[in-house]
Amino acid sequence: MESPSSRRPDVAGLAIAFILLALAGLIWWDLSRLQLNAVYGVGPKAMPMVVAAGLGILAIGNAIAAFRGDLPERESLQWQPIILIIGGLAVMMGFIHFGVGFILATTVLFAATAAAFGRRAFLVDLAIGFVLGLIIYVVFSKLLALSLPMGPIERLL
Amino acid sequence: MDAFVSLAHGLTVAIQPMNLLFALIGVLLGTAVGVLPGIGPALTVALLLPITFKLDPGGSIIMFAGIYYGGMYGGSTTSILINTPGESASMVTALEGNKMAKAGRGGPALATAAIGSFVAGVIATAGLAFLAPYLVDVAVQFGPEDYFALMCVAFVTVSATFGDSPVRGLTSLFIGLLLGLVGIDILTGQARMSFGVPDLLDGVEVTTLAVGLFAVGEALYVASRRHLVEEKLEPVRGSLWMTKEDWKRSWKPWLRGTAFGFPIGALPAGGAEIPTFLSYSTEKRLAKHPEEFGHGAIEGVAGPEAANNASAAGTLVPLLTLGLPTSATAAMMLAGFQQYGLNPGPLLFAERPELVWGLIASLFIANVMLLVLNLPLVGLWVRLLAIPQPWLYAGILVFATMGTIAANPSVVELMMLTLFGIMGFLMRRFDFPIAPVVVGLILGPVAEGQLRRALSISLNDPMVLLQSPISATLLVIALIALILPFVLKGMSRFKATED
Amino acid sequence: MTRITKGLWRGALTAAALTLATSAMAQSDLKIMAPAAPGGGWDQTARSMQQAFTQSGLVKNVQVTNVPGAGGSIGIAQFVNGAKGDPNQLMVMGYVMVGALLTNNSPVTLAQVTPIARITAEYEAIVVPANSPIKDAKELAAAVKADPAKVTWAGGSAGGVDHIAAALFAKAAGADPTKINYIPFSGGGEALAAILGGKVTAGISGYGEFESQIKAGKLRLIGMTSPGKLPNVDGPSLKDQGIDLEIANWRAVVAPPGLSPEQTKTLTETVDKLAKTKEWQELLKAKGWDDAYMSGPAFAKYLSDEQAKTKEVLTSVGLVKS
Repeated sequence: MESPSSRRPDVAGLAIAFILLALAGLIWWDLSRLQLNAVYGVGPKAMPMVVAAGLGILAIGNAIAAFRGDLPERESLQWQPIILIIGGLAVMMGFIHFGVGFILATTVLFAATAAAFGRRAFLVDLAIGFVLGLIIYVVFSKLLALSLPMGPIERLL
Repeated sequence: MDAFVSLAHGLTVAIQPMNLLFALIGVLLGTAVGVLPGIGPALTVALLLPITFKLDPGGSIIMFAGIYYGGMYGGSTTSILINTPGESASMVTALEGNKMAKAGRGGPALATAAIGSFVAGVIATAGLAFLAPYLVDVAVQFGPEDYFALMCVAFVTVSATFGDSPVRGLTSLFIGLLLGLVGIDILTGQARMSFGVPDLLDGVEVTTLAVGLFAVGEALYVASRRHLVEEKLEPVRGSLWMTKEDWKRSWKPWLRGTAFGFPIGALPAGGAEIPTFLSYSTEKRLAKHPEEFGHGAIEGVAGPEAANNASAAGTLVPLLTLGLPTSATAAMMLAGFQQYGLNPGPLLFAERPELVWGLIASLFIANVMLLVLNLPLVGLWVRLLAIPQPWLYAGILVFATMGTIAANPSVVELMMLTLFGIMGFLMRRFDFPIAPVVVGLILGPVAEGQLRRALSISLNDPMVLLQSPISATLLVIALIALILPFVLKGMSRFKATED
Repeated sequence: MTRITKGLWRGALTAAALTLATSAMAQSDLKIMAPAAPGGGWDQTARSMQQAFTQSGLVKNVQVTNVPGAGGSIGIAQFVNGAKGDPNQLMVMGYVMVGALLTNNSPVTLAQVTPIARITAEYEAIVVPANSPIKDAKELAAAVKADPAKVTWAGGSAGGVDHIAAALFAKAAGADPTKINYIPFSGGGEALAAILGGKVTAGISGYGEFESQIKAGKLRLIGMTSPGKLPNVDGPSLKDQGIDLEIANWRAVVAPPGLSPEQTKTLTETVDKLAKTKEWQELLKAKGWDDAYMSGPAFAKYLSDEQAKTKEVLTSVGLVKS
C-alpha cells in the first residue's frame, strides 16, 4: 500500500474507528440497563460484553490502519444516483405508512431507480413500475392470500 | 433389506398418475416461491394448508415435499443472477455465483447448482430411506454443549470469507454479532439493544439483512460509480453449459457438500446455513486455485448448493422418525400431517407405511422432475441479464422490497432494509467483506443460546464442554482448523529459507 | 355513520358499500388480524375462522391480515390504535399474549380491547424421558423441593405458558419458584429433542407436542395441568395426584376498543353462531383443537382474571419487576 496519502491519517478510516467505538459504548450502555439475570449459568450480559470488547479492540485496529494509510484507494463518486434510490425507498415507506398503497409505492421506487441508472424517460418508467406493482399485488392477494399494504387502487381490485 | 422392499412399494404409490401430478404441482410452486426473496417454502405450505384440507392426504403431503425441494432449487437462481439470496441458506451461493454470472458464466453456475442439488437430493434421500433410524439416535444425543462446539467449528470457517484484511473481516463479523444481540434474549425474555422499539423485539431478520447488504447495497454502489465504469453485462461468454473442466471441478464439491449437509440437517438444531459455510471454506482450502475465490470459483457454487439441498433432506429425518420439526418448513409439514390426524413418529412407519414410503419415493421423483425442469430454464434465466441495466436494477429493488414486506408489512422493516443497503454500500466502498456480517447474525445468537443452556444445565461447570465426547471432538477440530493454516504457512516459509 | 370515524382511505370507498350490505345480513365484511407470522397457531386459528365463516355463509367476505412480532405486542398496538370503533374487525390472541405484554412492558394492554370469546384451550403436559427414575408427579415434586437447581425443565420461550406452568409446579411442590432451572428453547422441536436425548430432567409443553412420543413409549407422562382426568389423554392430571396446579393455553378473539354495546352484541352473536356451525366443529376436529367456547361477560371476567393471575406469577418468578 504505497498510496500517496500514507503520510497523513485517513479521515474516513478514523471515522470508521470512531463509529465502532461508539457502537461498543452503545452496547455497554444497553447492557447496564438489563434488569434480570439468569438464575443458573451465564447471564444475558456476557455476550454483549464480549461483542463490545471486540468492537473496542477492532476500533483500535481500524484506527491504526487509518494512520498507516492501509485503506484502499477510493474513486470519486456521484451522489445524485444514491440520493435518487434512497429517495425512492423513502417515498415508498411514506406511501405505505400513509396508506397510499403498495402499487403506487412500487411505481415510484421503480422509476426513481431507473432514473438513478441514467434513464431519462421518467413517464415510461412510471408506467412500467405501475404494471409491475399491479401484477405483484394481484399474484399475492389472489393466489397466495397475503395482504400487501393497501391503498385506494388496491381496494378497487 | 427391508427398506428396499418398502421403497419398491413406495414407488408404486408414487408413480400413480395423481401423485405424479401432485409432485409436479409441488415442484413448480416450490421453484416459483424459491425464486421470490422473502417468500420461502414454509410460507407457501402455510398458505396452502387450508386449500389442501379436502384433498387426499398422500397426495398433498407429496405436494408439500415437492414445494420444499423446489424451494431449495429455486433459491439459488436469484442468488446467482441478481445477487439477491432468496433465503439465508443460499447466501453463500451468491458469493461466487453472482461473480460468475457477471463474468458471463451464469449458465455454468446455474447448471452446477441444479445438478449439484440433484446429486445431493438423491444421495440424501437415499440416506433418509436407509439410515434414518440410526441417524436419529445420534441426532437426539446432541446436547447444547455439542451445538456450541459445532458453532465454534462454523466460526472458524468464516475466515474463508474475509478477503485480504483480517482486521476488516473481523470488523464485519463483529457488526454481525452486534446485530445478533438485537431483540428479546431467549433465555431471560428481556429485550436487548431494542431501545423501546417494539419492531426490534424479534431481532433482525436474516433475509432483510442479506437482501439489504447484497442487493440494495450493490445497486447503490453500481449507481454511484456509473460515471467511472460502465458495467456491461454479457449474459453468456464462452459456453452456456458446463465445460469438461467445470464438471471436473464440480463433482467432488457436490459430494463433499452432501456429506456436510445431510447429517447437519438431520440434527434438531443444525440448520441449513452452517453446512453451506463449512462447504464453502472447505472448497476454498482444497481448491487448486484458491485465488479464484471471490472472483467466481465454480467450486464455491457447487459445494454450498449441494449442502443446502442435502440438509433439506436431512431435516426430514427427525420429522418422519420422531415427529420433530426442526425448520419452519418442517413445522408446516407437520401441521400438514396433523390435519389428517396423522402423527409423524415411530408409529407412523408401522401404521401407514404406504404413506411414508410413498413420500420418500416421490422425493426421488421430485428430484428428477426438478432437474428436468431447471436445466432447460438455465438458458432462459441468463437472458434476464440482458435486460437494460436501469430496468434490471429497478426490478431488483422492487423484488427486494416486496420480499421484505410480503411476510411482514411493516415500515420499520423497510427502514432496516434501506439502512442495511446504505451499510452495504459503505462496506463496498471501504472494502469491508459483506458475508461475515450475515454469518455473525446467524451464528452469534445460536452459539450464545446453546452455551448458556449448557452451562445452566451443568450448573455453571464449564467442564461440560470437554466431558461430552461429541463436543470435545468438535472443539479439537475447530482448534486444528484455526491453527493449521498458520502452521502450514510457517512450514512453507521454513522450507523456503532452507532451500 | 360511526363506522367511518377511522380511515380517510378506508372510509370513502368502502363505507357506502358497507352501509348498504349490513342491512341485509348480520355481517358482510370482517377483517381478522393474526398478530403473528403466517403459519403459526394464531394465524391458523384466524384462517380456520375465515374458512368456517365463509363456507357457512355467516359472513360473506373475510380477510386475514398478519402483523407479526414480539408475541403479539406489535399486532395489538396496531389493532387498538388503527381499528378503534370499527365493528367489523377481530383479532385472534391467546394466553401467550397476556405474558408477552407484561414482559415486554407494552404500553398497550388487554384492558383496552373489547373481549368477544374464548374459542380453544389446550392443557399443558409434564413429561420425563422413558428411562427416567421419576415415575409420577409426587416424585418430581419431591425432587424439585429437594433441590430446584438439579431439576432442569425444557420448554418454550421465557415468560411463556410453559415457563409459568413450571414455576407454578415448583410453588405447589413447596419449592422457591424463583430458583427453578428452566431452560427455554426456540421452537417445539428443539425442546423435544433435548427431552428425548435425556439432556434435561423434565419437559413441559402442550399435550399435542408430546402425544406421539408418549404413545410410542419414548416419553412418560407425569401429569396434565387440567382440573381432572381428560377423556382423550391416557394419564392422570396433576390435581388428581395432589399437586394444586391448573393452567390452560387458550386462544380467543377480541374486538377493537370504542364499540357501542349493540355493536359488541352483534359481533359476539356472529362468533357465537360460528362456534355452533358444522364447518367450525369439523375444523376443530381436524386440527385437534379442544373446543373451549366461552363468550360474553363470562369471558370478559375470565380474561381479566387471567391477567391478574399471570402478573402475580411472573412477578413471583422475577420475570416482571413490579
